Amino acid sequence: MSAVTPTERAHLLDTARQFARRELAPRAAAMDAGDHTALEDCWAQVAALGLSHALLGEEHGGADLDVPDFLAIVEELALGDGGIALSVLLSAAALRAIAPDQLQTIQADGRWVLVPVEYGTDVTIRNGRLEGRIACALGAYGADGLVLAAEGQLPIAIPASAPGLALDRDEAQMGLRAAPAASVTLASLMVPAEPSAPAGADALVLLWAGTAAIARGIARRARDQAFEYACARHQGGVPIIDHDAVSDMLAAMGAKLTLPLPAATDFANALAAKIAYTDAAVEITTDAVQVFGGTGYMRETGVEKLMRDAKYCQLFPQPNWVARNRLIALERERAAP
Amino acid sequence: MESLRAHARDFADGEVRSRALEIDRRCGDDPRYFDWDLVRAGAAHGLLRFLTPAPAGGAGGLAMQASVVMEELSAACPGIALIFGAHALGMAPLLLGGAAHWEGVLSGLVASERAESPELMACAITEPEAGTDVEDPDLLRRARISTRARRVRGGFRLTGTKRFISNGSVARWLTVMMPTDPRRPADTLTCFLVDARSEGFGVSRVEHKMGQRACPAAELTFEEVFVPDRYVVGREGDGAPETMIVLACSRAPVGAIATGIARGAYERVLQWLERDPAARGLLEHQHVQLELAWMQEEIHLARQAYMDAATEVDATLGGALSHPAVRALGLVPASVRRRHAVRAWLESDLAREATVRLLHRTTDERAMTRALSLSSLAKAHCADVAMRVTGAALELAGLHAGLIRGELEKLWRDAKLTQIYEGTNQLNRLEVYRGLSHRETIRCLPPLDRVASDGAKV
Repeated sequence: MSAVTPTERAHLLDTARQFARRELAPRAAAMDAGDHTALEDCWAQVAALGLSHALLGEEHGGADLDVPDFLAIVEELALGDGGIALSVLLSAAALRAIAPDQLQTIQADGRWVLVPVEYGTDVTIRNGRLEGRIACALGAYGADGLVLAAEGQLPIAIPASAPGLALDRDEAQMGLRAAPAASVTLASLMVPAEPSAPAGADALVLLWAGTAAIARGIARRARDQAFEYACARHQGGVPIIDHDAVSDMLAAMGAKLTLPLPAATDFANALAAKIAYTDAAVEITTDAVQVFGGTGYMRETGVEKLMRDAKYCQLFPQPNWVARNRLIALERERAAP
Repeated sequence: MESLRAHARDFADGEVRSRALEIDRRCGDDPRYFDWDLVRAGAAHGLLRFLTPAPAGGAGGLAMQASVVMEELSAACPGIALIFGAHALGMAPLLLGGAAHWEGVLSGLVASERAESPELMACAITEPEAGTDVEDPDLLRRARISTRARRVRGGFRLTGTKRFISNGSVARWLTVMMPTDPRRPADTLTCFLVDARSEGFGVSRVEHKMGQRACPAAELTFEEVFVPDRYVVGREGDGAPETMIVLACSRAPVGAIATGIARGAYERVLQWLERDPAARGLLEHQHVQLELAWMQEEIHLARQAYMDAATEVDATLGGALSHPAVRALGLVPASVRRRHAVRAWLESDLAREATVRLLHRTTDERAMTRALSLSSLAKAHCADVAMRVTGAALELAGLHAGLIRGELEKLWRDAKLTQIYEGTNQLNRLEVYRGLSHRETIRCLPPLDRVASDGAKV
């Protein structure tokens, strides 16, 4: 059970909301364009607010937050910028997987990321050494350390300075660019001796559930912006929201956002939420650009960025078609006598 | 047609495909970047004159030729395809202006290609406060039009701002729609041919686009830009029906752009699945097989939709463009057509009127409405196919697919614009309803009797 009181929880959520609105949203375009100063400034504030450590116990400088409360915060952050929300999620998931002894050595403003070793990656362990490559590890570029996590195995924590680890910026990254992606090369990297934390096994579940929360935040932002624009923009002598072609889209967007996030502590629930919300986010953000018309296709409104961010949520940690396969496999495992 | 397709494919495979990502990146960093080498290379393949009438030195094509070229180029890079498509769009109103422009701008464009210094065209319709409104004759009546063409001695002076104009910052010549009376835009919209070197013409900004970046979208300002009478395209006040005809001609090729995007994504992901070691085993999944089959279906049906539309447009307008009288005029040596007296006649009100009458003799409003509706249907359908197929291809590949991921992401970004330009898909579908479901006749032809702004019947 979390030690956080309802009042403290409400305060934290409000803090995240204000931070997203006042600090992240105004810098989102700059971070998307690759402004490292804006990125570092935002991350420093994230660390100062304790958001990246929020799931840890107080003895490790955390807020001892429950997962559902943390996901609510991640969703609020995504209204400001999906990439920063992802960095917070990756960091929180990574720190949960790191052994308590090693946690003591990590600085409060350090940025660690959980790197899923799944579909499309190529990593092996031979004779206690890691070999291979992960083509696009979101958030890994510039991170202080990585936690490699594969389903059914204990995560492996590696400081960025470890010999045999190379992180090259993935310049082509299309979405969630405030969580800068890197291609990760592991060349005969010695597997650290420290065992990971018991909570490490849940880190991937957190990642799936958190991606759903980010997608929902991005979609809410897109819907809000589209609604506001539709009331202000006139065509045919009336606000465009008076045209069914537009109001239908806005209503459908709202309907897709009415379902709350599930208490995603269960893998199947997390997978299902990720599939549902990331598919919805792609549809909602694509329609938001459509409501804006040509203006939405241009960088200035920030709506096309939401569409790119949402698409990356659909592909991360694994594409939804892989997630659907995994979901059915889980259900069959549970149904088996 | 197959020769044109082969030329387009040669150009796409030889020059475009390998440079598409790099040009997209450069334009992402600096939207004013423009690759003239590609234009020169495309011109050498005849891709700037497939629409140019034969007497002016071109291939004399229309919607079908444009569509074939657009699909081939878009499978490699829709942004680069759009450079050539927007050039053809800029030229389209001139085709409706009859022979008046053969010896002026059109033959000049061909000459510029021969001199290996090709000039481009653009078409300027959209305004900051009027996007959808200027692409529908009924909405146009209530549109917030902020541009104006003011009659002066010997011509007009154009004032105002046009927005999102493809090729707008690089075109030498633009066909520009502006009303002579902004209070009555539907009745007074007029097409003007504007030289980008005119005093008062300016490019106020070039947009940072999400995709199709190789072709710049510009905001253009007109500050009392003078346009002589001879550069009024068609008759004064015929801009609204001319816009509808131009859209009928251009929406099938936009459908072809979208189909090419979908095809490009399908071909790339299939090649990746078949050849890349990182994708080993994926083709064994039934999900992957079904997705690929579904993509094939969608692309095939999309192609059918735009080809049906292009066939209909060409049949509807072809009678006027290849009428014996027009062909006979084409047989007159260019040196004769260039003579002052002949040109004066071709540019006269009488000749403009004759062009309109010819259009009415060879087709009618109902046929034109059907052609417009089928083009709108193709555009909206193909654009949705492009979005769905590129999205699905990207999902099959995932984030770890290496280089192909960047190409698929680009095509996905590129695809979105096809749902927006040439009228949003929603507007296009309303025109499908009006023209096909409701069997309404949309006013697409210039009226036979027109009253000029000075009250005289022309």
